Amino acid sequence: MMEAGRSHFWHSDGRQLSGLSTLLLLLPFFAIIAFVFVYPILQLLVISVLEPHPTLDNYARVVENPVHMRVLMRTLWTATLVTALSVVLGFPVAYYMSRAKGTVAALVAVCVILPLWSSVLVRTAAWSFLFQRNGLINSALMALGLTSEPFKLLYTQSAVVIAMAHVLLPFMILPIYGALRSIPNDYGRAAAVLGATRLRTFLEVILPLSLPGVVSGSLLVFLTALGFFITPALLGSPQEMMISTLVSKQIREVLDWPFAAALVGVLTVFVTLLAIVFSKTLRFDRLMGNAS
Amino acid sequence: MLKTGWMWSPAAFVLASVLCGTLPAAAEKLEDQLVIATTGGLMGNTLAKYFYDPFSKAKNVEIVPVAIEVPDQWARAKAMQRTGKVEFDIVTATGPDLVGRTDMLEKIDCAKLPSVQKFGVSDACQPYGVARTTGGMLITYNTETFKTKAPKTWADFWDVKQFPGPRGLPDTGDSDWWVPVAALLADGVKPEQLFPLDINRAYKKLDEIRPNVGVWWKTGDQVQQIMRSREVVMAMSYSGRALAVVKEGVPAAMSWDQAIRDTGYMAVLKGAPDLNAAMAYLDFFYASSDAHVPFMRAVNYATASKSAIELLKLEERNLYATSPENYEKLVKPDFAWIGEHRNELRERWMAWLTR
Repeated sequence: MMEAGRSHFWHSDGRQLSGLSTLLLLLPFFAIIAFVFVYPILQLLVISVLEPHPTLDNYARVVENPVHMRVLMRTLWTATLVTALSVVLGFPVAYYMSRAKGTVAALVAVCVILPLWSSVLVRTAAWSFLFQRNGLINSALMALGLTSEPFKLLYTQSAVVIAMAHVLLPFMILPIYGALRSIPNDYGRAAAVLGATRLRTFLEVILPLSLPGVVSGSLLVFLTALGFFITPALLGSPQEMMISTLVSKQIREVLDWPFAAALVGVLTVFVTLLAIVFSKTLRFDRLMGNAS
Repeated sequence: MLKTGWMWSPAAFVLASVLCGTLPAAAEKLEDQLVIATTGGLMGNTLAKYFYDPFSKAKNVEIVPVAIEVPDQWARAKAMQRTGKVEFDIVTATGPDLVGRTDMLEKIDCAKLPSVQKFGVSDACQPYGVARTTGGMLITYNTETFKTKAPKTWADFWDVKQFPGPRGLPDTGDSDWWVPVAALLADGVKPEQLFPLDINRAYKKLDEIRPNVGVWWKTGDQVQQIMRSREVVMAMSYSGRALAVVKEGVPAAMSWDQAIRDTGYMAVLKGAPDLNAAMAYLDFFYASSDAHVPFMRAVNYATASKSAIELLKLEERNLYATSPENYEKLVKPDFAWIGEHRNELRERWMAWLTR
């Protein structure tokens, strides 16, 4: 992702490392990635075009069967909803974090980061207890007399979207926080001196400058959401099936590896295209929050 | 020359087995170990207690149990056969697997399994598998919700006016034919006229129940959970799981009427490294009837042992699929037809389910 010519490391005394040393430093990381990620994916893609015989039939099946296209479209739609919800929930938190000081700031940061250390499975299971027909939410609503019949909350698209947004929220908050932190306080003061209200300062100065963070957070959340497996499987019904569940069904139940590989191929192409489009339209170092 | 040799060997064989007091199957040299893949937890532990350990002692073969869910087991087996390194010997198979996955399984010579012939029910030994446990896909319901009148048949399951409340249906294993079969029975098709399945009619009937399905359950644990938490008022369930819920003290009961027979088989993977030990184990499983009764009580499923079910009292016997009273009520699926039409069934199911 880094552009040539700018991707150098520096010695502690400030001298730039030679190209060779840079390469050596990066080698272990890329070796592992190549071995445990790139190689298996490539092998899978090879299966998708070579079995049962050299053919593109497996890809044709993905496109021709309305079920597969529906699942693919639903996956994109769910990821979009999750991203939108994460922005709405994450931006205020990030904004507050960037303004908070001392203990409060530390506390908020811990609250945001701590969930990353607990398993996705545990967080998803917690939601299923809340959403049950006789779960906390329905019991509370019925105790308050707001409803006489329990709502169907579990195994719905809303349940999936809410829980996925919860799981992915840190990936939205942190880049936005990074972007907001790198906006010098002077900008806000300058706007105030020039007579802008706080709202106008926010809308015309802070918000545009934080956009790289929002975009990079959205990209992270959206791409991760595309491959989500546990949460839609546990909280959704078959109508919420996402593409990774479909792949797992093909591998586990139907034992049709070439076709599963073709599904993975389609998803890989999608993700790669999105990543390329974003890295072309926005400079990657800006995405990481180094706006200044 | 050839003829005398042919005459001689069976005679020597019989003599040897009489002298040693062993079964003919055991006369072949057994391997040191035997790898058996089953679901873990209760089933795995109970099998170990009543069958693996005694087998190890009797035959001096170490049993290596592998705890794995059935779909994962097939995925692993497929991967092993692709790479040519088969590690499992005995796997768990369903009825349709014995027809549809014959390319992955070793053919079983029933004549070489005398104990299965002697103590098992008539169809316990199949060309590609030996029956392990038999249950049924049946209706389990909450007895507090339905105090006065209980749902009995699939028509009752579909009758949301008389029996209101959310239902649970499976989205796992063989749901691609279990659920359409239940729909056809609900629509009034006679059990003996089910096959070949009228798929269009089944899905028309399924459209009716769809809005009332609260949960599409994916595992046996989940179907127990939704009955316990009352997420649903009734569900199609594995009989063993329904029985476990009843035993827990949950206000639930089960109806064996029109239950769909569901037998789990022990099958031998093609290319299994410990073939002789595997065949010896299949026979050993039926050799001792005494182990079957406590085994059935522990796992909540009946084995295909004729003698074991007769040891139980009537009341207890009726908790199991193979009791004479229940066995008659079971719907017996045509596995050959299902095996042949598996792709069609699966695609229709997926298309309908994800709609």
